[in-house]
Amino acid sequence: MSEKSQTVETKNPLGLSTIPSVSSEGLVPVGRRTSLRSYLAALWNRRHFILAESRAKMSGSTRKNLLGYGWLFLNPLLSVLAFWFIFGFILQSSRGIDNFLGYLVIGVFFFQFTGKSMTGGTGAIRSGASMIKGFQFPRAALPISVVVRNFLDFIPTLAVMIVLILVLPDLEVITWRVVLVIPVIILQTIFNVGLACLLARIGHKIPDLTNFMSIVSRFWLYGSGVFFSIEDRLSDHPLLLAAMQFNPMHSYLTIVRNSLLYGVDTDPWLWFVGIFWAFGLLIVGFLFFWRGEESYGRI
Amino acid sequence: MAESELQEPNIIAENVQVRYTVNTNDPSQRAKGLRRLTNAVAGRAGQTTVRALRGVNFVAREGEMVGIVGANGSGKSTFLRNVAGVEQPDRGRILVRYQPLLLGVSAALQPALSGSENVRLGCLAMGLSPDEAAEAFDYVVELSALGSAIHRPMGTYSSGMGARLRFAIALAARPKILLIDEALSTGDATFAERSERAMDELLAEAGTVLLVNHAAKVIQELCTRAVWMHRGEILMNGPAEAVAEKYRWWAWNVAKGKEDIADKLLADVVSNAVKEEINILEPELISNPIPRHAARQTKQKMVAARHVKRQHEVDEVEETPTPMLAAAEEQVWPRSFDDEMPKAKFPSLPKPASQAVSAPRISDAPPLRLNPSKKRVVLRAANPSDRASSVAAADDFTGRRLASRARQIADERYKERQRLRQEDNAPAVHQDSGR
Repeated sequence: MSEKSQTVETKNPLGLSTIPSVSSEGLVPVGRRTSLRSYLAALWNRRHFILAESRAKMSGSTRKNLLGYGWLFLNPLLSVLAFWFIFGFILQSSRGIDNFLGYLVIGVFFFQFTGKSMTGGTGAIRSGASMIKGFQFPRAALPISVVVRNFLDFIPTLAVMIVLILVLPDLEVITWRVVLVIPVIILQTIFNVGLACLLARIGHKIPDLTNFMSIVSRFWLYGSGVFFSIEDRLSDHPLLLAAMQFNPMHSYLTIVRNSLLYGVDTDPWLWFVGIFWAFGLLIVGFLFFWRGEESYGRI
Repeated sequence: MAESELQEPNIIAENVQVRYTVNTNDPSQRAKGLRRLTNAVAGRAGQTTVRALRGVNFVAREGEMVGIVGANGSGKSTFLRNVAGVEQPDRGRILVRYQPLLLGVSAALQPALSGSENVRLGCLAMGLSPDEAAEAFDYVVELSALGSAIHRPMGTYSSGMGARLRFAIALAARPKILLIDEALSTGDATFAERSERAMDELLAEAGTVLLVNHAAKVIQELCTRAVWMHRGEILMNGPAEAVAEKYRWWAWNVAKGKEDIADKLLADVVSNAVKEEINILEPELISNPIPRHAARQTKQKMVAARHVKRQHEVDEVEETPTPMLAAAEEQVWPRSFDDEMPKAKFPSLPKPASQAVSAPRISDAPPLRLNPSKKRVVLRAANPSDRASSVAAADDFTGRRLASRARQIADERYKERQRLRQEDNAPAVHQDSGR
């Protein structure tokens, strides 16, 4: 420390001493957007926090209930029962679909995962405002944490769903293709991260989007064939049907149903659409979010 | 206060300006024309621009604890947020040596979780790894002195207990720059003691603390320097005693409704205020006083010059002394003065602070850290019978002890403050007992 004592006041090279001079050596602007590489590194360093924060939020919300974590399983169980009661028992409708209950349950739960990530991602900056104002961290942790939280919610739902599909009296064709559900979930999670990042920045710019998102989500829900097969319904609108073939959610749902319920191979085109959307949106959404990094402090 | 030898700047704020556009229902600010219609649809009366910071120049050096005083709404908290980097100023720039830590980790804490779970969460939020967070746990428990309450949900804590836990978590990361926004006022006496010692250690390790507090006494006791902010500007900057005293006198007059005296005081301070400017020397400017943009103009000529020089070297190889001398003579006395003389290079003036708009983007700056090293957390408690002290004795688990010199500075600061307190308290005892 003795060598530091000599540099009490750094001399101005011009000798103008009326204005005090300080050396900015070793100092960097604070809160600036860093290069993509170091941003990703910082994000990776915060992975423990993202996970811990998501779990804390989840258990924080469940702990107030008497049954606690039990609701993570009870919730999907009760909704399947409701669906079975309405569609299977009262309406007795199958709408020309084999194993309609399984079809419906897969559609609803898998769509919910993306739908919640979408609405959560839109409000991620706003709901994380206190954290953003509180301390410095890569802001992409917020939309990612939304997806992680929904993913943690989704896992017990998925377990309940698979058990119910096996237990409920219906004819499933169980083949090796069941394992294909895992890559689909991975693809869908990647897609959700991209979507949440993209919407987080737009939602920060335009706060009104949160109102709009629930409507978009509903349109998308029907457009992805959650309650009915869009191939049947849109058979007389070939243009609309062709557009639907690019819908990533339709791809994910169809692949899961084919693999889990019907035990048949899926059109490679659907796999391509699913993979393309997942990685395409991840890159676009993440870069878009990263470019707005410095603006999120102002809310 | 013990004189610190550490003088390198840790924070430089240059012409920081912040303005917010906010809604207002002030009738005089009401919009006109079409704007008024859209505002009516949106349900707001009008908008106004608030200048929260109007060109703040500020330097904080190593080992300094700077108090910031000022009335409500004078821009103190905005300034701290900008220094912490959670917000970007509209104009100007802020340079820091380490990532400053705003005492606001509370944002990451969950009231439904227990204190101990929140310690882990808060440590992870500051970028500690899970192992480091586990090691810091004992330190946090000891510093916060919460006892068994650490296992209860944080939502059940009193406000003072919550503040203690938050402060302890913030210090667990061993930040080098700590920004405190009126957080210490809630703790009780024992905690105040502990927190002051913890901050002494931070300062002794070449750290910097910015402390916003309304109690001028706290500023006088703790800080080496103080800054009085008023309406987004720094009015006064000087020794903590003097600035806090002036501020206290002004605030007392305002509180008592003696507006004329207060205004006079303020006018006096303003008239004496020197608009502080700082001249930031860029690192490359220090090593090479000719800035890059000045050198760039002669780049074309530089290339030619290098070419000539290379030829000259070739000449040297031939080892013919006479042409060399002739060449040297030629350089000193050009035959004709019609040739263009080589231009003298003058170092251009560094930009004044008011003209600097933003810092050059450092594309691959190293990521800022809370502290420079990955070293472990110091576990030290005020009370020797505490568990943390015994843990501290086992050196390898506790990690870094303070460097002896830093330790000495911290102890000197502590003793000095104790002495001042005793001087203060000695005559005050009678008043207290009489109350």
